[in-house]
Amino acid sequence: MPGRISRRRIAEYVATELIEAKTSQAKVLQQLAAFLVDTRRTTELTLIVRDIEFQLSQKGYTNATVTSAFDLTAATQKAIEAFVKDKTKAAHISLTTHVDPSVIGGVKVSLPGYEINQTIAHQLTALKTRFKKA
Amino acid sequence: MTFLNQFAHEATEEVQADLFTALGIDWRLLILQIIAFLILVYVLGRFVYPWLMKSVDERQANIEAGAKAAAKAQEAAEENKEQVAALLDEARKQAAEILGTAKLESSEMLSASEKKAQTTAERIVANAHDQLGKDVENARKVLYNDTLELVALATEKVVTKKLDKRADSDLIADAVKSSSTKAAK
Repeated sequence: MPGRISRRRIAEYVATELIEAKTSQAKVLQQLAAFLVDTRRTTELTLIVRDIEFQLSQKGYTNATVTSAFDLTAATQKAIEAFVKDKTKAAHISLTTHVDPSVIGGVKVSLPGYEINQTIAHQLTALKTRFKKA
Repeated sequence: MTFLNQFAHEATEEVQADLFTALGIDWRLLILQIIAFLILVYVLGRFVYPWLMKSVDERQANIEAGAKAAAKAQEAAEENKEQVAALLDEARKQAAEILGTAKLESSEMLSASEKKAQTTAERIVANAHDQLGKDVENARKVLYNDTLELVALATEKVVTKKLDKRADSDLIADAVKSSSTKAAK
């Protein structure tokens, strides 16, 4: 019986497959899902996805998750891409956008190992927690 | 006159001869009675008087002893009276001393208890002041935090109502610019 494969190795494999595009993206993800179901490791999915993102960023492919209260305009998206590129020095940048009205305004950019939260909701929370007296 | 003298002389002789008879005394009985009296005196002197005298002497001795004892008792009573008086004086002095000491002690105790009560009252007041200060401070904190929450909530409400897509884009642009500047530094 083969030994347990570490999350890092799985992430490396998936990242390599996605970058080299030997197999289609959907096929790679199907393989990953099948593997996790087969080895009963579906609970590790979130961690593995995070590891894959990290491996991709190490190889110059950075995916940034952007959360805002409204749809982002093209100019805003470009500005964010430029910011992320400057920050990570990655060759390839992809943005995943989420609209979440609870952030009120501003933007939250999540990168592998880094996050910038400039939302109004976050600033209000910071205001409350920073100035609150115990 | 002679006749009369003679008559008187005869009459006297008759009187003398019959005096005992006239008086109803029998001289022989008298003698016997005298003898009997003497015998009685002798018997009494021999047997009764010594015993009687002895009893009297004993009684006298008893009475004298009683008198002496009474005198002694009187002396003892006098002495005891003096002792009792002395003891009473001593007792009065001691009682006065005890009373004085008790008054002093009670005064000291009263003073001490007053002092203690005053200290306790001062401590209670100080504690109350401290507690009041803490309560006020806590109330201020609660008020401050509530105000902060209220300000945050009001800001959230106002911003949610006033912020549109355009303003949000400007906000995001500023935020990205600010972050880039910070990163460059």
